[in-house]
Amino acid sequence: MNKTDFKDMWVFIERNGDSVLPVSLELCSETRKLCDASGEKLAAVIIGDISGGELKKVLDCGVDKLIRVSGTGYDFFNNDAYTNLFTVLCEKYRPTAVMVGGTINGRDFAPRFAARLGTGCTSDATELVWDPKATDIEFVEPAVGGKMMAVITVPVARPQVGTIRPGTFKYAPCGAHEYEVIEEHIDFPVENIRTEILDFRADDMDESLNIADADVIVCVGNAIKGADALPRYRRLAERLGGKLACTRPVFDRGVLPFKLVIGQSGVVVKPKLYISFGVSGTVNHVTGFSDADTVVAVNTDPDAAIFNYCTYGIVGNMDEVCDAMLAKLDK
Amino acid sequence: MTKYNKITPEIAEKLQAIVGTKRFFAKDAVKDDFSHDEMPIYGKYYPEVVCEVESTEEVSQIMRLCYENNIPVTPRGAGTGLVGGCVPLCGGVVLCTTRMNKILSYDMNNLVVHIQPGVLLCDLAADALTRGLMYPPDPGEKTATVGGNVSTNAGGMRAVKYGVTRDYVLAMTVVLPDGRVMDLGKTVCKTSSGYSLLHLMIGSEGTLGIITELTLKLIPKPNMDVSLILPFADVETAIASVPQIKLANLDPQSIEFMERDIVDSSAAFTGNSVFPTVVNGKEAGAYILVTLVGDSEAELTAKMDRLGELAEKCGAYDTLVVWTDGLKKDVWAARSAFLTVIEADTKLLDELDVVVPVDRIAEFLVYTRAAGKAEGIAIRNFGHAGDGNLHIYCCANDMELDEFKRRSKAVMDKCYAKCTEFGGQVSGEHAIGHAKKQYLLESVGETAFGLMQAIKQVFDPKGILNPGKVCTNVEEG
Amino acid sequence: MLNILVCVKQVPDINLVKMDPVTGSLIRAGVPAILNPLDANALEAAVRVKEAYGGSITVITMGPDMAKEALRECLAAGADRAVLLSDRAFANADTLATSYVIVSAAKMLGDFDLIFCGKESLDGATGQMGSQLAERFGASQISSTAKIIEVDTDARTITAERDLERGVEVLKAQYPCLLTVEKANFRARIPNLKSWKASRTAEIEVYNSHTIPGLDPEQIGDPGSPTKVPRTYPPETGSKGSMIDEGSTEKNVDKLLELIADVL
Repeated sequence: MNKTDFKDMWVFIERNGDSVLPVSLELCSETRKLCDASGEKLAAVIIGDISGGELKKVLDCGVDKLIRVSGTGYDFFNNDAYTNLFTVLCEKYRPTAVMVGGTINGRDFAPRFAARLGTGCTSDATELVWDPKATDIEFVEPAVGGKMMAVITVPVARPQVGTIRPGTFKYAPCGAHEYEVIEEHIDFPVENIRTEILDFRADDMDESLNIADADVIVCVGNAIKGADALPRYRRLAERLGGKLACTRPVFDRGVLPFKLVIGQSGVVVKPKLYISFGVSGTVNHVTGFSDADTVVAVNTDPDAAIFNYCTYGIVGNMDEVCDAMLAKLDK
Repeated sequence: MTKYNKITPEIAEKLQAIVGTKRFFAKDAVKDDFSHDEMPIYGKYYPEVVCEVESTEEVSQIMRLCYENNIPVTPRGAGTGLVGGCVPLCGGVVLCTTRMNKILSYDMNNLVVHIQPGVLLCDLAADALTRGLMYPPDPGEKTATVGGNVSTNAGGMRAVKYGVTRDYVLAMTVVLPDGRVMDLGKTVCKTSSGYSLLHLMIGSEGTLGIITELTLKLIPKPNMDVSLILPFADVETAIASVPQIKLANLDPQSIEFMERDIVDSSAAFTGNSVFPTVVNGKEAGAYILVTLVGDSEAELTAKMDRLGELAEKCGAYDTLVVWTDGLKKDVWAARSAFLTVIEADTKLLDELDVVVPVDRIAEFLVYTRAAGKAEGIAIRNFGHAGDGNLHIYCCANDMELDEFKRRSKAVMDKCYAKCTEFGGQVSGEHAIGHAKKQYLLESVGETAFGLMQAIKQVFDPKGILNPGKVCTNVEEG
Repeated sequence: MLNILVCVKQVPDINLVKMDPVTGSLIRAGVPAILNPLDANALEAAVRVKEAYGGSITVITMGPDMAKEALRECLAAGADRAVLLSDRAFANADTLATSYVIVSAAKMLGDFDLIFCGKESLDGATGQMGSQLAERFGASQISSTAKIIEVDTDARTITAERDLERGVEVLKAQYPCLLTVEKANFRARIPNLKSWKASRTAEIEVYNSHTIPGLDPEQIGDPGSPTKVPRTYPPETGSKGSMIDEGSTEKNVDKLLELIADVL
C-alpha cells in the first residue's frame, strides 16, 4: 500500500431526517484544519437528498468536494448497506482519512468498514494533529480512564478512520468556496439487509437526563458517599436552574445513569457555569466540559487535578460546601 | 443537681487562645450539625462554643479551664451516633476531635497501631490493609471516628468472629475532667494489674475522660474471604439456621440477616439490585449473608461445602457464592446502605439496638412487629444474626411528632421489657447516650445503676464532662 | 440447538491504576485484573437466551494465562465451555488483529448462531471490537443491545431493542448475529455453590498461534495491527484556578457566590 496513492479527507454527513447532526459539522470544521495543514482536500459524503439550507451549513465549513450518493438501501440506517457503501467508495476514491461522528450508529458501522478495508480505526480522539513528517494524522486521546494521553496513528494502512464524539470540536463556519460535486449511484439490494427495523420509540424525553444544552451543571464525582448524598446536589442544580451530572465512576457504581456522565466516554457539555463536587479531574472527564465559561471546583484534596481546570476552587468537604451554598441561596 | 456557668466573654477569649481563631466557633459560627447526631428525634441542643482540638495539651488546657469555671464539656467525633451521646445537653463547650486524625505509627513487631482519636474508621481500615494488616472491628458506619467507636464500644459485622472494639484497645491517653493527663494500659496483650481503668473508659461515652490517643491491636489480614448469600422463605427459617451455622465450626467472620422489604428498598434506592429476589423459582423472603475467611481456596471450599449442606437442611433456597471483588463490593455496599435507606424512606424515626440470645432473634422480631402494629407504627429491621444484635426501627411518615414520640415510646417500652425478659442487653453497639438511660436503669437495676453513678462521681466530681449521659441526669437546655 | 459464543476480556481495574508522578508512567502493579464489567452483562444476556431457548454457551478470550480466572467467572455464571487464546505472538494487538485471532479460533470451535460481547472494555474503551468481530464472522449486527425480545429458532432470527440517542429501536436480525450489550438490564447473576465449584476445576481449553489452524502470522499481534501507539504522555494540566480561602466554609461560599453572581 502506498500512502501517496490516497488523497482527500472525508467527513460522513450523518443526518436525522434532513437535518445534519451537529457532530458532522464539527468534524467538517476540524477536518478543514487538517486539510489546511496537509494540503489535502476536504470532502463531505452526503447520502440521499438534502435541502439547500442544510447543505449550506456543510458547505460553510469550506468543503472542497461533495460526494453525493444515491441508491437503494440507505433510507434507514443499517449496518450492512452503510458498511458496504463506505467500502466501495473508499476502494474507488482512496481517501486518506474518513471521519465519522461518534454517534451510536457511527460507532456501529465505521469500525466495520475499516475492518473490511483492513485499515485502522480510532475512536474518541479529543485532538487531531497533522504530522507532516510521517504524513499521518495523530489521533490524541485520553486513555486508561484519563490517567494518560495516548497518540494513536495509522502509519501504513489507509484510510485513517476515526469516530469522534459529538461536542468534541466546534462548528466554526469559515464560509463556502468553490467545490466539486461527485455523484455516485450505489445500490445495496434491500433484500441483503440482514436487520429489519420493527419499531422505533422516541424517548419520553426525561428532561433531567438531557444535560447537553444545560446552562448550569452541578457535577458530582467519585467522592460522593452514595445515592443518599445526592438530594442536596439535585436541589442545588434546581436552585441554579441547571442539571445534575456526574463522572464515569459514579455511573459505574450504579449511583446515577449513564446519560448524566460528562466526559470523553459520555456527554460533552458547554454550560455557562459548571460546578464540580468531589471530582478528581481526570482528563477524560475534563475534556467533557472544556468549553464551560466558568468552572468551580470543590474537593478536599488541595492537590486534586480538578483545581488545574477551574476558574475558582474551594478546598473543602463537598457536602458541607453544597449545604452552605443552598443555605445562602435560600436566604 | 449541678448548676453550670455560662461561657463569659473572658472565658471564650481564653478558649480561643488555646485553639486559635481558626478552630474556635461561637454563637452564629457554630454549625447546626453540632446540635444533634444522626438521630434527630432526640432533640437539638446547641453548644455555646465549639473547639476543634489538635492535641492532648489543648484538651488538657480546655478541661482545666472548664473545670475551674464549672462549664460543661461534651466531646464529639464525627457525630454519627444514634443515641444523642455527643449532643451538648447543657450547652457549654463541644470539643471536636475530628482534626486529631493522624495515624501516628505502626509497630509491626507487636502488631499495634498508634493513632489519634479523630481518625476515621474507614481510613484506619484502609491504611492497615496496605500493610497487610486488618483492624477487625467493622461497624456499619465507616465514617465514624475510632475515638467514637471506643467510647461506644462499637461492634459491627465482624464481631461474631473477632469480638468488638474493646478487644482491640491496648492503651490510651486520657484527659480527666480536671485536665490531668493519664496513660492507661500498655502495649502488651495480658494484664492482671489492678482494676482496669482502661476498660472502664472504653464504652463510657466520654463521661469519664476524653481519649486523646489510642494504641490498637491489629491482626494479619486473612488471605482469602468469600461471602455467601442464603435466601430463605421467611425470617423465621432464616434465623433458625444461625445456631446451626455457628455450631458447624466454620468460624464465620460475619453472619448478617436481612428481610426482603429492606433489600427491595435498598435496591430501589441505590439502583443496585444485587440480591436476587427470585431464587430457583421461589420468592425469597429473607436472607442470611455469611462471610468466611481462610488461608487457601481449598480451605474455603471445604467450609463452603459444609455451609452449603447445612443451608439446604435448614431450608435455604440455594447457596450463592460472592467470590469476585466486584460482587463483594456490590453486596456489602447494599448491606451498608440499609440505615440510609430507612432514613430516606422515613420522616420520623426511632431505633432499638438490642442484643438478644441468638436463638430468640426470630421470636423477638415477631414480638416487635406486633408491638408496632398495636401502636400503628411501622417496624423495619436488620442486624447481626451471628451475635443477636438487632437494629430495629420505628418508622412513620404521616404523623405528628408528639404523637409519634408517644406511640414510639409505647413500642420501645414493651420491646425493651421483652428484651430484658429474654436476658438481652439494651444496647449492643450504639450505646446509651441520653436517649436510652431509662431503659438502662430498668435493665441493670438500681444497684448496678447506682454503682455507675458512683463511678462517674469519682472521675468527675463536678459533673462537667458530657453531662446527662449514660447514668446521670441534668436540667437540659 | 442454539450455539452461542460470548467474547470477553480480562481488564485491569483502571479505577485503581495510578500514575507515577515522577516518571509519568502507569503503576499497574497490584492492580487487580477483573472480567470486563460489560462482558459480564453480555454473558448474562446469553445465559438468559440459553435458559429460554436452550443451547450451549462457549466463552472465549485472548490474553495471558491469568485470564483463565475471568473465564472461570463466566463458567460459574452459566457458560458451558471456556477457551483461552494465549500466545506471546498475540501481544500488542489492536482491535483488528484481536478480532482476527478470536474469529479464526471460533471458526475452529463451531458454527455460532449468536455472538455476544460487551459494548466496550473498561481499559481500551474503543467500542470497536463488536463491529470488527461481526465483520470477520460475516454476522449481522445489533449494537448497544438493551433488551432481548425474542429468538425465533425456526426462522433463525433474534429480535432486540437497542438504545439510540433519542429513542429505542427494535431490530430483528438474522443468524449469525453479533450483539454488543449495554449494562442496564443485564445485571450478572451470583452463581450458586454448585456452579461455582464446577467452575473452579473445569477444563479450560487453551490454544496458541500454532494450534489455531491457518493463522496468518502477518495478521496477528503487532504486525497485524494497523493502529499504533507511538507515544503516551501525562495529561497536561491547566493553570491552577484561583483558590478561595477565606477561613471557613461559610465565608468561602459567600465569596464564591459573589464571584459567580453575574453568571447566576
